[in-house]
Amino acid sequence: MKISLLSLIALACLSSLHAQGPLRPPEPRQKPTGTIARPQGLPPLQPIINTSSLLKVNVTFQSYNLQIPWQKETSSGRRGLGVVLPNNRVLVTAQMVADATYIELELPDSGQKITAKVQAVDYEANLAVLAPNSPAKEKAFFSALKGMEVDTSARIGDALSVWQTGRVGELIVTPMRISKVMTQGYVVENAAFLVYEATGIIRSEANSFTLPIIKNGKLAALLLRYDSKNQVATLLPAPIIDHFLKDVADGKYEGFPSLGVEFQITLDEQFREYLGLKGDAPGVFINNVMKGGSADKAGVKKGDIMISINGSSIDSRGDYQDPQFGALSVSHIVRGRSFVGDDVEIRVIREGKEIVLKSQLTRKNVEDYLVLPYLFDKGPKYVLSGGLLFQELTRSYLNSFGNEQQGGPILRLQRIANTPDEFEKEGRKKIVFLSAILPTSSTQGYERMNGQVVEEVNGKKITEIADVATALKEPKDGLHIVKLREFPFILHLDALKVEKDNLQLLNGMFRVSELTRLE
Amino acid sequence: MKTRLILPAFALLCGVPFFTHAAEEQPSANQAIDLTTGEWESVVNIDCSVLVPDYREPWNAGQPSGGSGTGFLIGKNRFLTNAHVVSNATKLVIRTTNDPQPHPARIVFVAHDCDLAIIEAEDGTHFEKLKPLTFGGIPKLNTELIAVGYPIGGDRISVTRGVVSRIDFRPFSHTQVDSHLAIQVDAAINPGNSGGPVLQNGKVVGVAFQGFNGRVAQNVGYIIPVPVIQRFLKDVSDGTYDHYVDIAITDFPIENSAQKKALKVGDDGVGVMVADVEPAGSVGNILKRGDVLLSMDGNPVLNNGLIRFEGELMDMNEVVERKFAGDKLKLAYQRDGKKEEVDVELKRFDPYVKLGSQYNQRPRFLVYAGLVFQPMDRDLMDAHQIHDAAANYLFDNYLTDKLYVERPEPVILTSVLTDEVNTHLAIYAHSVVDEINGMKIKSLKDVKEALAKKDKNESFVVVKLLEKGRPLVLKRDLAEAAHPRIMQTYNITEDAYLGDE
Repeated sequence: MKISLLSLIALACLSSLHAQGPLRPPEPRQKPTGTIARPQGLPPLQPIINTSSLLKVNVTFQSYNLQIPWQKETSSGRRGLGVVLPNNRVLVTAQMVADATYIELELPDSGQKITAKVQAVDYEANLAVLAPNSPAKEKAFFSALKGMEVDTSARIGDALSVWQTGRVGELIVTPMRISKVMTQGYVVENAAFLVYEATGIIRSEANSFTLPIIKNGKLAALLLRYDSKNQVATLLPAPIIDHFLKDVADGKYEGFPSLGVEFQITLDEQFREYLGLKGDAPGVFINNVMKGGSADKAGVKKGDIMISINGSSIDSRGDYQDPQFGALSVSHIVRGRSFVGDDVEIRVIREGKEIVLKSQLTRKNVEDYLVLPYLFDKGPKYVLSGGLLFQELTRSYLNSFGNEQQGGPILRLQRIANTPDEFEKEGRKKIVFLSAILPTSSTQGYERMNGQVVEEVNGKKITEIADVATALKEPKDGLHIVKLREFPFILHLDALKVEKDNLQLLNGMFRVSELTRLE
Repeated sequence: MKTRLILPAFALLCGVPFFTHAAEEQPSANQAIDLTTGEWESVVNIDCSVLVPDYREPWNAGQPSGGSGTGFLIGKNRFLTNAHVVSNATKLVIRTTNDPQPHPARIVFVAHDCDLAIIEAEDGTHFEKLKPLTFGGIPKLNTELIAVGYPIGGDRISVTRGVVSRIDFRPFSHTQVDSHLAIQVDAAINPGNSGGPVLQNGKVVGVAFQGFNGRVAQNVGYIIPVPVIQRFLKDVSDGTYDHYVDIAITDFPIENSAQKKALKVGDDGVGVMVADVEPAGSVGNILKRGDVLLSMDGNPVLNNGLIRFEGELMDMNEVVERKFAGDKLKLAYQRDGKKEEVDVELKRFDPYVKLGSQYNQRPRFLVYAGLVFQPMDRDLMDAHQIHDAAANYLFDNYLTDKLYVERPEPVILTSVLTDEVNTHLAIYAHSVVDEINGMKIKSLKDVKEALAKKDKNESFVVVKLLEKGRPLVLKRDLAEAAHPRIMQTYNITEDAYLGDE
């Protein structure tokens, strides 16, 4: 699956204006009046609608080329809205600022601009806080703006409104109604979070990225995705925003904790009987426990039946009864309702006996994954030597091939990413592989290869990319020996030729700026 | 295989034969063929009715279909044709140019790995007076030849003319996994030409067998050359076809100066690196990765893996190709700079067969309480359009990661015929079966044995799948009660077909 950062720009739903859904009752207090011209002397604005909390955010971004890692891709722009927070901070989605090279805030009506930087960002929760760059201009810029509060009270059935700004800063309000609450991944694949699903029409406007969704003048959600065909919006909800802002506020950002288990539902009666689950007894079957995760630290084991977390019973679908949202995936208790370091109590059935396991919640750092689940704001790590291009495997690299991954090396690497355990057992911290071989004199005969996992270089076991850089310093008898996990299993290079080729790579037609990137 | 070859047969049904005669000698470019002599009577049309096996409903007979190709007389009531012309045949009929009578025929030998077959007429008397065609050698590049047969475009015998364009080792599209010597010609080779003789100076220099789709390349046809045909004829001379033998190594060219130095290879251009050795192959216990192969039967192997053989540079495998099961091959190789010599006995290397198309086989399967188990092979993967990650990995890397060692015949849960007993398991279709009742599944036969086995908890049947989070469990009594019901509902007449004993 390719992470489409631009998916929200395509809000081409002009025709949908005519297709008013019959299911959407009018909102009682906030009239869906459409466009309201603000600074004119016409009928006074509704005081409820607080437009002084919205900013335009303009971002220029440039990502690294994942396959030619010393190069960057063409730069491009994103235009979205930001929600003004107290203390002159601005909330946007993380997607908005991923790989940003330049960020500016713009007042919707006057068009006045100020540059900004990312103060905190969480790509899993897809949220970022921006701070203005210049303290001197900050005060004047924010003088007419007012921080918006976050309202976490929304429930299924609640009416909300989407706020957009028009060309000259006029507020455009359209209604939405929450139809469903569930958990799913936001923009990266490794974590599921709470989302609201809402139905309603969203117009296509400039700055349509990350629109705020409002309840009673307070921030209830940010727009995550919009399916214009079905008029279904997926919203990043206030409970997650609130969690993020609280975490940021204490100065040390720790992120959202995770339990670190994979479980299987237990609806199948024969399976239940096999597991010893009686009648409609609660519980799910734990089939995998992530090393170093919260559950692992608490002592949860593969094969346990997990029956409750923090006193909330887990049903056979893996849901608990949330007081606000009803049946909801148990992952939300940990990720949405707790913080890193909080106590957790997990009840499991093991060999027929119920046991209570306790620990503190942790979060698996992105850097601790064998295969990085995502990579933003920095370039992929690599070592280029002689013409052999060594890289650390990331999901982003695999995703860069789109749907072409029919077989061969990419399928094989994909499988490693999906089954990291056996490779971690071999002592690998990362998967280092040959991503390409540039045609040089030292790679004569090796040109058409790629995708082999590197086992050893000059007799040293490779556990991460830095090992390659170190090992290449010590050729034996004037030769570099690279051992691979796949055909042709071994490559030899002439150490002197490699040195010569490296100089040519730096100055030659490939325009390689640096031979390595280890950080 | 990078190129996609079309199967040239199965496209045309021939009409009523007509009376024609052939010239004594193959005519030159401007000489008309005289069809009155009866000589061409020995090039026959083969009409074939087939049943295409149904790997989705393996208990069914299959889909009736048919096609037509060419064959030619090579001895007393012996007709040579392509294996793909007669594959999966239920009925064969030979028709000739001069005789209105259809002659029922049957397969004598079929060799799918080199796409050749011999058939005979059930009553051979009609063909007794005919003169069999005789074989020539490997024709030279740019020399003229003609292809004779019954291709698409009409009912009567057809002749096309061209030259030898190239002689090379090529993949054979019939199985998709075998490669042999093939001759490329620019004479038109079209569907229906398959199995027909290609002649030079009145002698057979090849059997027309495959070509490219017209959108890929033009005027590229392939013929099976005489060495491959003669190898087949010699193999079957003892009454059975024993298949090709294989050295089962993968070579890697030595072009790099550092590689030469490390492997201690001289500047004489001799020696190719042994990059991989199949443990189950002929030299599994002899050669190792990183050895340098120097010669085969005293014939030096060059740095790029080619060998000079009968005056031409050819893939070194051609030396092995000409040999038979049990034959010896003399290898010289170098390990750590030291030269060694060894005689190896050649044998067949089976695992790769699963990766190609197979024919004349009834699909094997086993049904238990609606769970359908089938052995993994190409036909199965294609028929079921399997996209399960573990199954695809296993199929893709069956050879390259030596997965056949642990699992000679991987078994896939191809479908779940739903019933209340197994309705929760339907989502697990297309998974690879790892264990049943604690027993590792290495072949379809293991499934039968394992299902009868009782694990720790004997009231359950426990099926473990590869890379799935949970085992599939069925209560044995419920499963056994449901089994006959499911068999009846889904119209399955037998539990299993595990192959011929």
